[in-house]
Amino acid sequence: MLRVVVLALLLSLAAALQADAPASYPFLSFDEAMAQAAEDGRPVFVYFGRYGCGYCEKTNKEAFSDAQVRERYVQNYVLAYVDAESGRRLRLPSGERTTERELGTRYDAFVTPVFSFLTPDGEVLHRMVGVQRIEDLMDADRKLQALRAGKGAR
Amino acid sequence: MRGPARLAALALVLVPAVVMADRWHFEPPIEVTSVAGGQVFHHLESSGRRNVAVSGGVVAVAWEDDRDGTPRVYLARKGLDDDAFADEQRVSGAGEAYEPSLVALGAGRFALAWEEDGQVHARVVDGPRLGPVFRAANADSVQASLAAAGGTLLLVAAERDGRFPRIHAHRLAVGPDLALTAAEHCPVDGVAPRDEQLYPAAIVLAGRVVVAWEDRRPGHTIIMAASSPAGAVCQFAPAQRISQRDGSGNGMGRNMPYGKGHGVSRVALAAFGSSSAFAAWADKRNFREGYDIWGAPWTAADGFGANERVQDDFGGVAQQWHATAAGHPDGTLVVAWDDERDGSPSVVMSWREDGTWSDDVVLPGAGGPGEQANPSIVLDADGNLHTAWVEREVTGGPTRLRYAFGRARD
Repeated sequence: MLRVVVLALLLSLAAALQADAPASYPFLSFDEAMAQAAEDGRPVFVYFGRYGCGYCEKTNKEAFSDAQVRERYVQNYVLAYVDAESGRRLRLPSGERTTERELGTRYDAFVTPVFSFLTPDGEVLHRMVGVQRIEDLMDADRKLQALRAGKGAR
Repeated sequence: MRGPARLAALALVLVPAVVMADRWHFEPPIEVTSVAGGQVFHHLESSGRRNVAVSGGVVAVAWEDDRDGTPRVYLARKGLDDDAFADEQRVSGAGEAYEPSLVALGAGRFALAWEEDGQVHARVVDGPRLGPVFRAANADSVQASLAAAGGTLLLVAAERDGRFPRIHAHRLAVGPDLALTAAEHCPVDGVAPRDEQLYPAAIVLAGRVVVAWEDRRPGHTIIMAASSPAGAVCQFAPAQRISQRDGSGNGMGRNMPYGKGHGVSRVALAAFGSSSAFAAWADKRNFREGYDIWGAPWTAADGFGANERVQDDFGGVAQQWHATAAGHPDGTLVVAWDDERDGSPSVVMSWREDGTWSDDVVLPGAGGPGEQANPSIVLDADGNLHTAWVEREVTGGPTRLRYAFGRARD
């Protein structure tokens, strides 16, 4: 029994190591995230990665590992992860059926990682390409929150 | 638009009128189906990008759309001399159907394979007659791709085999009632997968079979391939890596502290000449520029050779996606893809001449404003080039399915 538990733990660890979304963040699929954003009004933070992406791994380890980043992003955004090489199907709010790969094409995820902040309607508010540091993510969050506050004040 | 991109766009505009006239003369594009607009979204996305085929004097296009709210597979045909497509047929059943692959069987007959409710289906179409549906034995099978030549009909697909999808090959026999049966069925790679095997493409050439696919065994995606000797579909030689065969990474590659290597995506295969083939795919080895179109030639004698960049230098600053390939026994080899170098996706093509790739040219009628993307191409027996693609005026808007005929020039 113990052997089975250990094996299961090792398998889950292996899966986590190969996954390009940072562990411990509640990333959703894109369509799930858009649906949730439509309900609660938060912007969507989309992480375009790919399998084996080195710069994704670097950003995960060096920036998303920060507790403050995690707190800000989990609180302020609906999080979506898109594997820009995956054929996983999804349906956009417009009703169009597409795949994660084609979504990457549409949002110009020609390199990975690309991080896009979207309105619940899919409009791009801000975009960051490549490796991000803790301060980059925190700065982007401040800008997005200021933008939201400005819109709310009008 | 940045300076280099503007220059590249200018070059792209200038080249076609001269070069295209040398090889094919294209007629104005036509609609494949009149069902469009509103919430209708057409998809040409078969594994291996085989969505157009010519059988006898008939050209056919297979696609998926969700006109009635459910994704289904459709086929439209027309005589080569007809002005418009007609005889539109729904090919799939009651389930959700995706990613049809289409090949010609000769004498006006076609074979289609697709995924329906998570299982690969296939059937023969002969005029208005639809043959019985063949279902892959594995109920968890996707990403079907067909190849046919010399009386051999081959179906390849990604089939769940333990933890991972694994590429399997089926040699199909066509019965007198158009029924398909699996004469042979086997995994292409004799070694059990250590990670996912995805999106296969295949060719049949002089009785030999070549299969290529995406493979994630090194922790990132590479292209692998295997071939079988003539007349022995299920006797595949050991699989070989064909993208960056030396395994060298680029930038954040295997020698860097992070990641496993660059990405590749969606291989297409075409046979040409008497004993050659070419595999083309989107490749991110120059990762700062996104995907470029790369490929590798194959010969029966030597297998796959060194990688070649198919696109020209002007494409370097732009993104390329969705490679499709077509070949002819006379040695003609064409690769097409969609390309954003002019600011929005256009269908761009290049062909091999004297061992080198031509300048990239925009497919006439498949460039300019809006999006023209997801091409599929095939050469008929006379060397004419048949092309289909998905077009939309604005990103996210409704799609149209377009076709253009390129008559071969002597």
